[in-house]
Amino acid sequence: MIRLEDVRKVFHQGRPDELVAVDGVSLDISDKQVTVLRGPSGSGKTSVLALVGCMARPTSGRIHVGDREVTSLPEHFLTEVRRRTFGFVFQEFHLVRGLTALENVMLPAYPLGGSRKQLLSRAQALLERFGVGGRARERADWLSGGESQRVAIARALVNDPMVVVADEPTAHLDSKLSASFMGVVDALRSEGRTVLIASHDPIVHESEVVDRVVTLRDGRIVDEAL
Amino acid sequence: MILHPSVLALVGSALLGGGLLVYSSWWAARVLLRWDLSSGSELQVALERRTYLVSTILAYVLLFELASLFLFVFTADSMAPLFTGAMCAAGSLRASPYGYPALMLQTAGFAMASLWLVVNRADSLGYDYPLIRYKYGFLLVLTPVLLLEMGLRVAFFLDLKPDVITSCCGSLFGARGRGLGSDLAGIPPKVAAVAFVALLAGVILAGLHFWATGRGGWAVGVLALVLLPTGLGAVVAWLSPYVYELPTHHCPFCLLQREYDWVGYPFYGALLGGSLSGVGVGVLMPFRSIPSLAGPLPAYQRRLAAFSVWLLVALGVLVAVILARSQLRL
Repeated sequence: MIRLEDVRKVFHQGRPDELVAVDGVSLDISDKQVTVLRGPSGSGKTSVLALVGCMARPTSGRIHVGDREVTSLPEHFLTEVRRRTFGFVFQEFHLVRGLTALENVMLPAYPLGGSRKQLLSRAQALLERFGVGGRARERADWLSGGESQRVAIARALVNDPMVVVADEPTAHLDSKLSASFMGVVDALRSEGRTVLIASHDPIVHESEVVDRVVTLRDGRIVDEAL
Repeated sequence: MILHPSVLALVGSALLGGGLLVYSSWWAARVLLRWDLSSGSELQVALERRTYLVSTILAYVLLFELASLFLFVFTADSMAPLFTGAMCAAGSLRASPYGYPALMLQTAGFAMASLWLVVNRADSLGYDYPLIRYKYGFLLVLTPVLLLEMGLRVAFFLDLKPDVITSCCGSLFGARGRGLGSDLAGIPPKVAAVAFVALLAGVILAGLHFWATGRGGWAVGVLALVLLPTGLGAVVAWLSPYVYELPTHHCPFCLLQREYDWVGYPFYGALLGGSLSGVGVGVLMPFRSIPSLAGPLPAYQRRLAAFSVWLLVALGVLVAVILARSQLRL
């Protein structure tokens, strides 16, 4: 269970360009379910994802991941939680250009140490699973949009996280590839992972795979549908 | 004021360090008054973030404070030729009424800053800021001491005039003179030697026992605390004549000169580092029962004890070499 308690996130606080991105959000995200955050641009979806994924700290409020309160954790403890609990799929995928697909997948596992041989076989297996095993030695620059996304998903899973966080994962995909992505999400849920997606794509939030849709507007929750 | 690169560095660092200490203490006071980890209020979240900045600033300021003790003595020593009668740092420090008080406070500040850094490191091992109130409370005691020391340091350098006639170390640390230096020089060498060697061995053995078993941390702390002043006294009363091979020369500052292979720097470094890391082991003993520190703190204390033992063994070897090389037999 991930629990947000009255979370606010304000950028440029106290300045003329102050922006309240998240405004008093309280939310319980159940384990082993697919939750989608829906809303227009600027509604606070990405900020909520960043806060839940321990990539940003709130201006006020608390976030609990499992039985641990994470917003007050010192940075090195927070980094550990982020590495071991979350896998991220970014909107632009953020694959490192110049590295191969395989190297991109292996990258998040380096700080955890462990055997390189095992890591190589794990990363290769993930690429095979998502149908891009044959592209493992290709540089990320040469991958298509769909391939890049599948490599990004493989990278998100390399540390075997309990929670997968995806920010607008279908923004650069056609309908067929978007539907294929939801198939991957279904598989992740079947494995017992919690999936949290921010998207305003109907293919995502109208999918049967999704357990719950939370609608945000102006940084606040305006609707929760199961 | 004498314009010398080290003087400018020490005055500049005092002004900068003093400003940063005041800034950090302001936040420390806010933490002490308003800290509430159970709250997710804007202030609490801001304090949690700010504590990283404050701890980082303090770590650098205090590390420089540790280094500045040696730089201060080095500077005083290198300025000795400017003052009539001065042969080493002892005479330079006597050239202004602020000299010795500055040195005394700097030594006290060195010890307190070391222990603050030990507590700060221990605090960072827990996920829930377990020692935050202790370390910031300690900081509010430490800051006035360091500000006073920095003020005296600046006053000392501003007050120095090259035409001052001062005393040489022979009169300041002569057994027949008056004052603390002469009192220390008057202690029978065998008494000082036995006390120093016994305490040195005691801390090493207690440290090894703690390292091996995790028990006896209090003993390490208390013995190391007594070792520090005993060691400084033993230099004057017993060890320095062996370095100079002159039974009447007890100066603790001439050891820092080239003629004596700068032996004072490793000696004082090992004595201060070894004894204060041992004291740190004892200082952390009351916090072992805090749940978030129950795992990492004993391991950190063992590393501190090992560090202390290594430095004190090195100190013992250094003393043995000094005695073996000396032609003097008291």
